[in-house]
Amino acid sequence: MIWQFSWLLLAATAQAASLSLQSPRFTISASDATQLRSDTLSLTKKPEPLTLGATDTLKLTFQITESDEGKGVQPHQTFLRFYDKESGEEGIQPVRVTPGGKAKFELNMMRPPASIPPTTHNPLEVSLILGSFVHAPAQYDLFDLYIPASQTPAEHPDEASFHVLPTIKHTFRPEQKSPPQSISAVFAAAVLSPWLVLIGLWSKIGVRVPNLFSISIVPFTALLGAFEVLLVWYWVDLKLGQVLLYGGILTIPTVFAGKQALYATGEWRAGRK
Amino acid sequence: MAGPKSSSKSSPTSSETSVAVSTLWKSYLDQTPDRLKFIDAFLAFIVLSGVLQFVYCVLVTNFPFNAFLAGFASSVGQFVLTASLRAQVNPENRSEFKEVSPERAFADFALGSIVLHFFVFNFLG
Repeated sequence: MIWQFSWLLLAATAQAASLSLQSPRFTISASDATQLRSDTLSLTKKPEPLTLGATDTLKLTFQITESDEGKGVQPHQTFLRFYDKESGEEGIQPVRVTPGGKAKFELNMMRPPASIPPTTHNPLEVSLILGSFVHAPAQYDLFDLYIPASQTPAEHPDEASFHVLPTIKHTFRPEQKSPPQSISAVFAAAVLSPWLVLIGLWSKIGVRVPNLFSISIVPFTALLGAFEVLLVWYWVDLKLGQVLLYGGILTIPTVFAGKQALYATGEWRAGRK
Repeated sequence: MAGPKSSSKSSPTSSETSVAVSTLWKSYLDQTPDRLKFIDAFLAFIVLSGVLQFVYCVLVTNFPFNAFLAGFASSVGQFVLTASLRAQVNPENRSEFKEVSPERAFADFALGSIVLHFFVFNFLG
């Protein structure tokens, strides 16, 4: 148990080791090797923004050490990040570091590396990013850099799908309206008028129903009436399952009543004839 | 559509046509049994109802369309059922409908009417 704890402690102290940047220097020289600007970089304050012309070269040197011993160390990842805050474009350039921690980076504007992002007139923020399995990571903001503007980057083919599409304006057919009440009333009366015609004709014909209330056929007519009542009830209130159920139940007595009633009427017809 | 069997025939000229029509009508009134006239009155009522509903649909509006269809279909369906009842019940058609008694015809009419009314009320909404 104590052994495991001590290994953990050792690993923790090793993890606690952090990286530090020693003696960062930059030099801007023209195409004919004359030095235009040269300075050390302070880790606390950014210098005046650097400017590179189309033919100038920027050289950057630094050393990476472990903070407590000052021993040079080669971290697993060393990147220079060029970031344009206005447009959001960024480029990552890996930097080769010797096992002793010394690093040198050269940016020749006549042959710029592919990692430089598209630029406009805005400066690029240059920062150094260090990553390691055994050290805490580190990032240092070095300087701002003006380089000549590049051509605008080509628009990504999927660009349009990342923006809000125009609102679809639906047009609907206007709601159908009922006609005015007066017209509806007139036509309602017109459509009900055939009932008057029917009653008039039937009274003129003078139909005889001598056996309408006879005991043999009253159940049948009553059940037929009950069916009609059930259907009107279905129209106002019932659901399909209920009406089918009640209808099915009503059918059974109706069949028997019907057989009886129609047998009786058959007999009367035969008897009368 | 079954009609009353009468002995009059219609003639080509117009005055003879009107004479024929009036003879037909008189013969219908005299010779048709009362019960058939009863059914005929009902048929006339159904036709009139259907025509008026259709006139409303054409003249004013077909909104709501399902209601118009239900009403018109009920007129047409009821007409068909009643006409077939009249044909089967008519004593002069006995030779055509030997295996169907008038009582059976009426039972069919009643059943058909109830089923028609069910579908009509279903669609009426």
